[in-house]
Amino acid sequence: MDLTLKALIEGILFVFGEEGVTLQQISDALAIEPEQIKSILDEMIPQYMSEDYGFELVVSNDRYKFISKPAVHDYVSQIQAQTKSRQLSQSALETLAIIAYRQPITRTLIEEIRGVGCDLMLKKLQAIDLIREAGRSDSVGKPILYEVTEEFLDLFKLMDLSQLPNLPTFQEESTESSLFE
Amino acid sequence: MTHFTVTLAAFEGPLDLMLHLIKEKKLDLFDLNVDTLTEQYIAFLDAVENKLDIASEYLSELASLIEYKSKKCLPQEPNPLEVDEFQEDPKEALIRRLLEYQRFKEVSQILNDRFVMRQMQIAKPIEKTVLEQSPEDSLYNIHADQGDLIKAMQKCLQRFTITHPSEVRINKVEISIEYRTEQLMTSISNLREPFTFEDMTQDCEDVHMLIVTFLSILEMARQETLVFWVKKNEIRFKRGSKYGFNA
Repeated sequence: MDLTLKALIEGILFVFGEEGVTLQQISDALAIEPEQIKSILDEMIPQYMSEDYGFELVVSNDRYKFISKPAVHDYVSQIQAQTKSRQLSQSALETLAIIAYRQPITRTLIEEIRGVGCDLMLKKLQAIDLIREAGRSDSVGKPILYEVTEEFLDLFKLMDLSQLPNLPTFQEESTESSLFE
Repeated sequence: MTHFTVTLAAFEGPLDLMLHLIKEKKLDLFDLNVDTLTEQYIAFLDAVENKLDIASEYLSELASLIEYKSKKCLPQEPNPLEVDEFQEDPKEALIRRLLEYQRFKEVSQILNDRFVMRQMQIAKPIEKTVLEQSPEDSLYNIHADQGDLIKAMQKCLQRFTITHPSEVRINKVEISIEYRTEQLMTSISNLREPFTFEDMTQDCEDVHMLIVTFLSILEMARQETLVFWVKKNEIRFKRGSKYGFNA
């Protein structure tokens, strides 16, 4: 029985689990042009979104993988109690947000936006692989530049940085004002 | 009526605190009354239980607010030497910073929602059998040198130190010269004369206590409750003529 191309891709994705596979890897393995694989994957993503599937196909930093749907979570913990999920503190979130939107960015600039020192927080985020050093700035003192990692993208379910939610803008309520009042 | 006590720990920093005050007092962020904000800010910091705990960032922003306020009170005379240089009005700068911070604060909430949602989605690990059967698999075929190994090890250790912070305790025992003198008065009563400096410092646990003991000995010598002389390059002590008078 010959499987369809879609079924083969599905099987590969299943086996590689959380590791994920890149478009190029699938294309090499099946000896089929990446464009064709890409169009099949693009079809698959919305298919798994249907309520008939308990998992979905996500792509983060060019790696495709299956993850279970949020609704499954509660029932999974009914079968086996899970370890407590990770949490990110408000200061970790703010620091990550600033880096993600403004990367590459120096520590001084992050601190200017937050109004507090971030030295320790940057070390922590680096240690858990959510950010990394991205060279040095050309300004005085050659400060280290920071950027977010692939791990960050996966953790926030982002395909790439362009998928970040828009930064909110705050407008003055009455935009009309007279100079000579 | 119960009052909510809000502590500094609830805020991410001075900007966060200012945004809270602006919201609470219904101040207009775009037409900010810096004087009112300064007063609120000072009142808040005053109300915070332990002033020593206030991080320097809060005090630094406080200084800027006060500087702005005091500059406004002084008559402005144009400085003929000053080159006509563009300088951002500190009030505008503050509003700009508050707005900027607010944007990131709000977006970090949106990101957190995504994060929490993603935490509920689980992927399964890669099939172990796949790894075992194909040693030439790209996952096994790693191009790395010693440098990479050292880097990986350093990272590992760094992660360990951050996740397992060593417990830090600061013990500071303050001891006054007066109190130490009293202690010495009692302890030397049991010593056989002549006694040495070491005899009197036996219970000293650290340098600090040693210094206080030394100062106490000098003080006692001055008061003549203790007498010392040097014999064979060693200082010897005995109870002085005034010993027992002030004890």
